Amino acid sequence: MNKNNSKMLTADEASKIVASSVIRRRKKNARLKTYGRIAIGLAVSFLIFLFVSIFSKGIPGFFQYYVTLDVFLDRDRLDPKGDLSPESLYNGDARSIVLESLYKVIKPKGRKEKKAAKKIISSNADVRISKMVLDDPNILGKIIPITFAVDDDIDSFLRGYIKRETPSSERRINDKVIKFVDKLSAENKISYKFSDYILTGSASRSPEIAGIKGAFIGSMLTLAVCFIIAFPLGVATAVYLEEFAPKNKITEIIEVNINNLAAVPSVVFGILGLAIFIGIFGMPRSIPLLGGMVLALMTLPTIIISSRAAIRAVPPSIKDAAYGIGASKLQTIFHHVLPLAMPGMLTGTIIGMAQALGETAPLLMIGMVAFIVDIPGGVTDPGTVLPVQIFMWADFAERMFIQKTSSAIIVLLVFLILMNAAAVILRKKLERRW
Amino acid sequence: MVSNSNINNVKTKTIGEIFSKDPKIICRNVDVFYGEKQAIKDVSIDIASREIISFIGPSGCGKSTFLRCLNRMNDTIDTCKVKGSISLDKEDIYDEKIDVVTLRAKIGMVFQKPNPFPKSIYENVAYGPKIHGLSSSKEELDFIVENSLKDSGLWEEVKDRLQSPGTGLSGGQQQRLCIARAIAVSPEIILMDEPCSALDPIATAKIEELINQLGKNYSIVIVTHSMQQAARISQRTAYFHLGELIEVGETKKIFTMPEDKQTEAYISGRIG
Repeated sequence: MNKNNSKMLTADEASKIVASSVIRRRKKNARLKTYGRIAIGLAVSFLIFLFVSIFSKGIPGFFQYYVTLDVFLDRDRLDPKGDLSPESLYNGDARSIVLESLYKVIKPKGRKEKKAAKKIISSNADVRISKMVLDDPNILGKIIPITFAVDDDIDSFLRGYIKRETPSSERRINDKVIKFVDKLSAENKISYKFSDYILTGSASRSPEIAGIKGAFIGSMLTLAVCFIIAFPLGVATAVYLEEFAPKNKITEIIEVNINNLAAVPSVVFGILGLAIFIGIFGMPRSIPLLGGMVLALMTLPTIIISSRAAIRAVPPSIKDAAYGIGASKLQTIFHHVLPLAMPGMLTGTIIGMAQALGETAPLLMIGMVAFIVDIPGGVTDPGTVLPVQIFMWADFAERMFIQKTSSAIIVLLVFLILMNAAAVILRKKLERRW
Repeated sequence: MVSNSNINNVKTKTIGEIFSKDPKIICRNVDVFYGEKQAIKDVSIDIASREIISFIGPSGCGKSTFLRCLNRMNDTIDTCKVKGSISLDKEDIYDEKIDVVTLRAKIGMVFQKPNPFPKSIYENVAYGPKIHGLSSSKEELDFIVENSLKDSGLWEEVKDRLQSPGTGLSGGQQQRLCIARAIAVSPEIILMDEPCSALDPIATAKIEELINQLGKNYSIVIVTHSMQQAARISQRTAYFHLGELIEVGETKKIFTMPEDKQTEAYISGRIG
């Protein structure tokens, strides 16, 4: 034991040396703790900054300015054919009715002032009237108050983003329009309330009526496809690799590659999808089915890795017990291993899906960035997804889209938080504590 | 089939009586390798019907490895290779035609650490009969569960809470539940791998009593570190050392007049 002939320390000497090192060790502990606290403090402050910034911009995006007008719903002009069919209503002249009721309030004089007045109300006003009539034809021929969204420039002006002091030539709205808006305000016709469009509207170039419903549904469909493909495939792969695969070079290469795939930039999967699904199989672009398939490629490695970890975490004693009373491999896996591994596998899957939900780049590659007004009714209808919608809105010039972008980000974040919460709840619920 | 002529005509260094008159399991020249390492060297032994035989020996001597060869639990270890012959009722259990599922239904196993399934007490016992299709109705299954629990001496303690989790029982109860689970599929042989090493003396006494009871109907092979336990419960004892079967014989004889020096050293506490 004592090769270099040094003496063993006495207990006294040893305890002195230990005591002197204790202070040093304690200091090291304290330092490490401080570093940890600083790191966490930084992370939390960044998070707070992010939330404050997004919510302060995004919350106003859920509200917008409306103007309330008493509209005379003229039967002849709204429903020229008189059969209340959608085509008839579509051909009706709702726009002139809206303008007429507006003119009654602001009383424009001359052609120029009338032209300016036309800019106040959103171009969507006539659609709104047609819809109301379609829903309840009894209102025809009556005078009723209707609220219309104001045009996005007026909205920005009312919010103070377009300033009165700016010279008229540099403003997006001229003095005449401002005069009319002032008049409407003075008559209490302008109100600020929760937007009818942000949650229920679909893509539009007019920011005041643009909404995220189309993108939201697109995201849901895409994720559904992604889950249906990636979860069974991922779990099956994990079970095979953990329980059946022989331990040889080929398995090793496959394992290393799966781990590497998890780190491949997502845009590469987009290019792969473009080349294979569109290029070789000729699938139509922009559809949630294709998006889901591409995202499934991207999520698969995550699901496989977490599922393998979950399967490996199942105590071997349980497997022994099952084998010991003569359960076959399949019975052991399905009756004992998978139920015990399920919480871990689901958690990994939901984390993978949350990643897929926020993914933009691969979807750009397969054309999900197209401007699509219609809300997709199925996985084969062209559509877009929330992060791509955010990407597109962030690119638009209109001032109002800045708020809408943040609003869409809030919706995406809430969606993500809900998914993560679901993961936690599922894990708690499925985890057998006995 | 292993021909009768060479069964009792085997070269072995083992001291004592490896043969028995009514052999259930016959092991001849068994070698076990983990990769390159040889864990069991040329072991030949018979295990008789309705006998309790204990395997003793120092840690790492291969007694658990040998035990796990008897119901092919070593199959789950990729690097493990078994040579020689092990036959159950004169049928080679390593024959390609033998299905491990049927083999393990005949040879039950109880492990070192109690390992009930994370399910109810009832489900734990009923699982074996269910997967092997031993019962055709709920009543039959109930009967099997009740009988198995009675045979393992657990029935009185758990009859009112069959639906509560098996893992909620005490260690000794869990181990008896595992024994009930093993006998629920009506095996012929029960292998026990240090079944009492995780239990307190009282629970151990209960399990030992139970093993004595079960010995009337089953062949029991028990690996144990406790020589007193081996002396108390088994009719025959086999002493393993470094992968070799050194000595086999009547328990009384092994513990009072061992023929081999190593056996004597071990049982008198000088090695191990």
